[in-house]
Amino acid sequence: MRFPYKGYAGKILRVDLTSGKIREVNTPKEWARKYLGGDGMAARLLWEEVGPGVNPLGPDNKLIVATGPVTGTIWHTSGRVVAVSKSPLTGIWGEAHSGGHFGPEIKYAGYDMIVVEGASSKPVYLSIYDGKVEIRDASHLWGKDTYETTEMIREELGDPAVQVASIGQAGENLVKYAAIITNYHDAFGRTGMGAVMGSKRLKAIAVRGFGAVEVAHPDEFYEFALEGHRRVLESDQAMELRRFGTPMLVAVKQAIGELPTKNHWVGVFDRYHSIDAETLREKYWVATKSCFGCSTACKKKHLVRAGEFAGTFTGGPEYEAVFAFGSSAMCDNLPAILRLNLLCNKYGVDVISAGKTMSFVMELFEKGILTKDDTGGFELRWGDYHAMLEALDMIVFRKGFGDLMAEGVRAMAQRIGRGAEKYAMHVKGLEISGQDGRAHRSAGLTHAVSARGADHMRSLVTVDQLAYWDTARERFGEDKVEGVVNGYSEAYKGLAVKMHEDAYAVRDSLIVCWYTVGWPPIFWMDDFARLAYLVTGEEAFKDVREMWVIGERINNLKRAFNVRLGITRRDDTLPERFTKEPMPAGPAKGQVVNLDVMLDEYYTLRGWDLKTGLPTREKLVELGLEDVAAELERLGKLPRSERPPEGEGGVGEAG
Amino acid sequence: MGWEVVFVAQMMLLITPELCTGCRLCEGACSFHHYRVIQPSRSRITVVKFEDRGLDVPVTCLQCDDAPCVAACPTSALWKDEESGLVVYEAERCIGCKSCITACPFGGVGWDAETNSILKCDWCGGDPQCARICPTGAIKWVRADQADDTKRRMVALRMQEVAQNLMAPKRAGV
Ligand code: SF4
Ligand code: SF4
Ligand code: SF4
Repeated sequence: MRFPYKGYAGKILRVDLTSGKIREVNTPKEWARKYLGGDGMAARLLWEEVGPGVNPLGPDNKLIVATGPVTGTIWHTSGRVVAVSKSPLTGIWGEAHSGGHFGPEIKYAGYDMIVVEGASSKPVYLSIYDGKVEIRDASHLWGKDTYETTEMIREELGDPAVQVASIGQAGENLVKYAAIITNYHDAFGRTGMGAVMGSKRLKAIAVRGFGAVEVAHPDEFYEFALEGHRRVLESDQAMELRRFGTPMLVAVKQAIGELPTKNHWVGVFDRYHSIDAETLREKYWVATKSCFGCSTACKKKHLVRAGEFAGTFTGGPEYEAVFAFGSSAMCDNLPAILRLNLLCNKYGVDVISAGKTMSFVMELFEKGILTKDDTGGFELRWGDYHAMLEALDMIVFRKGFGDLMAEGVRAMAQRIGRGAEKYAMHVKGLEISGQDGRAHRSAGLTHAVSARGADHMRSLVTVDQLAYWDTARERFGEDKVEGVVNGYSEAYKGLAVKMHEDAYAVRDSLIVCWYTVGWPPIFWMDDFARLAYLVTGEEAFKDVREMWVIGERINNLKRAFNVRLGITRRDDTLPERFTKEPMPAGPAKGQVVNLDVMLDEYYTLRGWDLKTGLPTREKLVELGLEDVAAELERLGKLPRSERPPEGEGGVGEAG
Repeated sequence: MGWEVVFVAQMMLLITPELCTGCRLCEGACSFHHYRVIQPSRSRITVVKFEDRGLDVPVTCLQCDDAPCVAACPTSALWKDEESGLVVYEAERCIGCKSCITACPFGGVGWDAETNSILKCDWCGGDPQCARICPTGAIKWVRADQADDTKRRMVALRMQEVAQNLMAPKRAGV
């Protein structure tokens, strides 16, 4: 039977590496209707198949690579793809998104998702080529970096257009924040998806497809797609993003006091100009590239032409790498940052977690909590980029103290003790990305409540950060606009975060890119409703309210996945630095985050229990998640109004 | 053959690879125009990617005046339309010998396994969709006798960046 909706391939590829069994199953129609695709569908699959007892690095964990109905069409930014798994870094919901050209190829190969389970006894890679799916030996690739792996696989399959998602040595060595790299320069960066591949001894997934993506209403879709591209080309901000890429945020954030510096101690970096986009463009830029189907083209290629790091040629860095290896580590040497970025791509490492781990260690040295005696003679001081390069090598190959650094800051703080936790910048085990709630209040809430931990991509509100008055007025109304736009105020941030989280869940399920949705604000839910309808043909998607329901449903399901693992309000928190240490300098001087006020508003709007942060039966049922409610009830993880206050989250907590 | 438009002058697709970001929208639009689906493998324009070097080159039929494919074709399935300048393909006459693929010096002709016919640019009947969708100006639909002006202006504007591009490394560093 043909899949009833267009846009989808209608098939899921399932691979069991333990048995070597490969099969194709139909994409459930109901999943498309209720969860759209991408992030949403993957959430459904992970909820159903990865229970609370599963070891993230064991054979029972599953790696899901998912596309959405829009993937591989020519809609603006239709090249995105998501990897979902239980995270080895955080132990909860893990997800990482990649651009490039890998996602569309999966669709052309005839699949909506690839699901890998089990574990191979020897290194293998998965090859999907023109309808033929094979598990191939990868012994000769083990120990190679992602560049070598990509090249060797392309050579082996005799086709340089094969799309390769691979792990480097970091994934092999189960570095908890190892990334999956696609074709040299793009990454499924966060939450250790590369370690999941490593644990399965899956070196790479190589895909080449020759099929088509159909859309339900071709002519209208085509015109709408052209209009979408036009809107991007007419946006000054999008074109500025094309010119400078995401590092343009360095100067923007410096100006508002939100450039995390010295391990998020302060939001201004006096030497920021040495690492900002102007310097990058002037001295190192060589080419501007884009992901599949994208008119923005924010991707940059950089080359160091002279000096110690001459010859370093790298895709990126993005803003997050510049802040993590730059201001956060007090390093103003841009060539060194480019080098670290390149090495992270080659070894397959998340730049944010790596950079934040290094700045954590730097602060521990500064405070005297760590000394050379603890690290076998290794020392990491602010701005010492030679030591940072050494640290990266130690992490990837788990040498000496690197073995501990490879575990991420939460585990390190637990092991080190002596008050180290105070300087561990993480939420739920995920290192904090390049925002600061003290200067950008909604970002504090975003970090605290995001399903994957201290995340900026799932609900980052930009209207307060960048003072988008018009957008704020449209989205929130005249009465709220002033409060919403004020980045130093908690006002309406619960509302803003909830709204953006739901919209972004739709974005991540269609899947389209964060840029031109979050920043600059060009596409929003009305566009998504029209797009989803034109692509799939499902009439119900036309109604924008349906999009909001789908977004809310996905977020509730992801929350339920985490709640099943013991997450409650207590975990929706921030390091004390943000809630107790007033910002010491810069435009946001004196600011702290009042998290509880925002949390109360957020839970109230979510219809979740205020005290525990657990989703309520009413909310889950309203969203058509009766089975999820039943499962949580069985585990004693639904809030009960009659429950005494001290019993919160108690039942089943030990499991 | 869908050749409906009459021009005052011969047109051409002006391709400037150093502007190309490798988005492959041209491939998508081309396949959409011809098959109403998005299927880059059946596009008549292909973006050749050298990702490790940050290089993307869109390649398609250049509609040569003295076309090697026309000379190679044993059945006159390919012929030059002198007025428009298009090298026209008539599938009904094609015997699938693929001599044109061999003869083309640029890789501008491909083979479509789904229909057993060649894949060759037909200018979309006079409104090339690749040029219409290209977001960077890497493909432009211009008068052939004015293409040099267009090119000069583009190059002059981008002097500095072009110079930097030429310095791109042969291989990725490290
Ligand atoms: S494949 Fe067809 S068009 Fe090409 S040379 Fe042979 S007969 Fe002519
Ligand atoms: S002009 Fe039309 S047929 Fe020719 S390459 Fe461009 S899109 Fe394809
Ligand atoms: S549409 Fe333009 S920029 Fe995009 S790949 Fe084609 S030629 Fe390059």
